[in-house]
Amino acid sequence: MALLELKNVTKEFGGLVAVNQVSLEIDSGEFVGIVGPNGSGKTTLFNVINGVFFPEKGNIIFDGVDITRLPPFKRAPLGIGRTFQIPRPFSSATVRENVAVGAMFGTLSKKVNVDDSLEIADQIIDRIGLHEYTGKQAGTLTPVEKKLMEIARALAMKPKLLLMDEAMAGMHPNDIDQMVDLIKKIALEEKIAIVSMVEHIMRAVVGMVEKVIVLHQGSKIVDAPTKEALEDPKVIEVYLGHPPEETHAVS
Amino acid sequence: MKTISKYYPLLPVLAVYFIMFLVGKNVSGMWQLVAMLLFYCALGQAFNIFLGMTGYVDFGYVAFMGVGTYGMAVTITQLAHVEGLGFLVITIGFLMALLFSTLLSLAVGAVALRLKGAYFAIATIGVNEGLRFFIEGARIWNGSEGLIFMAELNQILGRKTASALATFWADIMVLFIAMSAAYVTLLFMRSKIGYALTALREDEEAAKVMGINVTKYKIIAFITSACFAGLLGAASWALKTPYVFPPEVFEIHYTIEAIIIVLLGGAGTLLGPVIGGLIYGLSKYYLSIYMPGFQLLIFAPIIIVIIVIFPEGIIGMLKNRFKDTSLARFII
Amino acid sequence: MFFEQITGNLIQGLVLGSVYGMATMGLSLIFGVLKIVNVGHGAFIMVGAFITLWLFNTLGLSPILAIPAAFAVGMLLGLLFYYTTMRRLIKAPELASLLATFSIGILLEEVIKLIFGSEFRGYNWAVGKLNLGVTVLPMSKLYACIGSAIIALLLYIWFNKTRAGTAMRSVVEDSEGARVCGVNVDGTYAMSFAIGIGLTVVSGVLLTMFIPVGINPYMGGGYTLKAFVIAVLGGLASPYGAFFGGLVFGLIENGSYMLFALIPGVEPFALTRFLSFVILLIILLIRPTGLLSTK
Repeated sequence: MALLELKNVTKEFGGLVAVNQVSLEIDSGEFVGIVGPNGSGKTTLFNVINGVFFPEKGNIIFDGVDITRLPPFKRAPLGIGRTFQIPRPFSSATVRENVAVGAMFGTLSKKVNVDDSLEIADQIIDRIGLHEYTGKQAGTLTPVEKKLMEIARALAMKPKLLLMDEAMAGMHPNDIDQMVDLIKKIALEEKIAIVSMVEHIMRAVVGMVEKVIVLHQGSKIVDAPTKEALEDPKVIEVYLGHPPEETHAVS
Repeated sequence: MKTISKYYPLLPVLAVYFIMFLVGKNVSGMWQLVAMLLFYCALGQAFNIFLGMTGYVDFGYVAFMGVGTYGMAVTITQLAHVEGLGFLVITIGFLMALLFSTLLSLAVGAVALRLKGAYFAIATIGVNEGLRFFIEGARIWNGSEGLIFMAELNQILGRKTASALATFWADIMVLFIAMSAAYVTLLFMRSKIGYALTALREDEEAAKVMGINVTKYKIIAFITSACFAGLLGAASWALKTPYVFPPEVFEIHYTIEAIIIVLLGGAGTLLGPVIGGLIYGLSKYYLSIYMPGFQLLIFAPIIIVIIVIFPEGIIGMLKNRFKDTSLARFII
Repeated sequence: MFFEQITGNLIQGLVLGSVYGMATMGLSLIFGVLKIVNVGHGAFIMVGAFITLWLFNTLGLSPILAIPAAFAVGMLLGLLFYYTTMRRLIKAPELASLLATFSIGILLEEVIKLIFGSEFRGYNWAVGKLNLGVTVLPMSKLYACIGSAIIALLLYIWFNKTRAGTAMRSVVEDSEGARVCGVNVDGTYAMSFAIGIGLTVVSGVLLTMFIPVGINPYMGGGYTLKAFVIAVLGGLASPYGAFFGGLVFGLIENGSYMLFALIPGVEPFALTRFLSFVILLIILLIRPTGLLSTK
């Protein structure tokens, strides 16, 4: 059984269809990239999965539970973590407190008290390599540090599925490599499925993505292993605007 | 050891209150001023639990003090003829104040707390006026004539006790309310509630996605803050001045004062409202002697400057300055 | 008889509503463009009232001449507060701008109190009455109504036909997009704030033409609340929505006063003001984006 299943999910904004009849399955521990240009519906899809928006049509099943109408704060503890494209730290709180919030509210166990959460936070901060910033106010971090902190915060929720909003955009290639290795290692150990948003398909190749789902104007056009997807003519059309032959002819 | 150190930040708060009490008790003629300062500190601490910790502005906050005052006033007028109740009446009065402010906060919260930011503020700005005009318009509790219960209070407690209550014991109750509000603030800060409130104040959507039931925590802060306001109205307004008129107890002026105190001291800090209350109370007192009628003319630009230049307030600034020193554990 | 009373009431309500609508357009304009709620709105109305009063009582000028004066003063106040305060708060948390506009309102009240004192004042502009058969309308009220309609129309033309108006609309839609397209967003913010305040101060003139008594530094609070009700009726971010919201609100207020007056043992004036608060809560509960907005 798939960890996450979307069945014909549609989300509209006042007549504008942002996500159109999308069905997909994500298995436990899988690394998937949601690929599509700006405005293709990636962010809306994420927001529908974690409950910021409710879809007009379709169902969302997570870990065997129908979560279609569940508010976001009830979905997170089931095991859905999220990072944002532009990091959204709780600025006035320290890094340690930020990560502790994830441990405190992001799991189903009601027994996690403040002290336990802070301990969990310390472990995760060590693991991510943020210990020198642990007492710093999150608002004062650099963008890269903020991204790392967000990942730590999401990991503290012990997610089964981690939704990452273009987590690598704007980072130095060396940092990306390092971070990808780190996330991959943790995800493998904890069996976390990762769905990351990718603006351009070429990024999926350098990333860790095993499977890509390509969105175009709200609809899913391709759902295949990364290598296959790269050669799919529909993908080439979306990204280059024409079939490859014509492109050659022009240039 | 660990549990005791958690309460270190209460020390400066209690120290300030203790000094105020000593000065008031021992320096002749000072009690009245100290009583006023205690009122402002208590008001700041009560309001801070909501405004400071959630970042939501409740412009109708004074309404909770108003209904608290009515809770005490109605109890006293209704129970005056029952023989031999004595101080039990006052206790029931406080319970009624709690009940009224809880009910009002539930009613307002049910509508307003569904709304975000600006819409919340708009929904609350009319609460005090709305309630005032409801009481006046529908002639509830004697409508615009208000309730005067000096005689009833004397009848219940005896003239001497009633007078001691108005001039001293009511202020001690205010002090107790202020200290309880400080304790509850610290309790919140050290618990899940505090973490949830910080998260939702900084970024409500991210907080939701992290598994925080933001509505629940907003309601907790709102009701707690409202209850302290209700108690404060009952103690400081009903018992000290045994009458209640709708335009007075629903006067937006007190919300303004609460905002000034919290911002001046530092919103969301524990010690801030105490310092804010002291500074505001003292300046108001001396301004009313040397420049009567100019308090707000002076304070309005001060708030604007605080908001624009140092939004973290006095304690917020000190907290940053002493961050890595041994003083840090006392100042939050 | 009954029919006449209803018609008369409708007319009175619409005349009042047009002024209410105009008095809310500035609030909506500022919210639409800057996403800032001007909690000190009523204080700017009060400033307009005092300008009218002062021009009439000391210089003997007609309230109609107070309109351009009020607009100029409002623009200046708007620019002053924009560049000293609001500009730095556009990106700040909402708490900051709410408290800042609130404090600006208090500051204005206190400055006016310092200059004019806090007693209630009024003026007497005798321009006759118009007998409509079903009701008698003082000419001053009629002028206020016509003035409101003309100003609303001018704003509409300005918004839709001029470059600056178009820039403003583009900022309402998408401030980042407008910036990319070369719109001077900061300038547009300043202009919108200034015009919004200008309109609000002018509405103070029109409101005193309507009710020439009860002018006092603290008269604005009630108008702030009414403006919020009207603004949410019309969709907070739309100046025209606000105008129509005003018409609706004028009808409700006039009608409910008439009905409450029929109930024995209550104070109709207080209940009418309570009703406006209840309407506000109901709209916010069922449709915070506004009853009259299409979105």
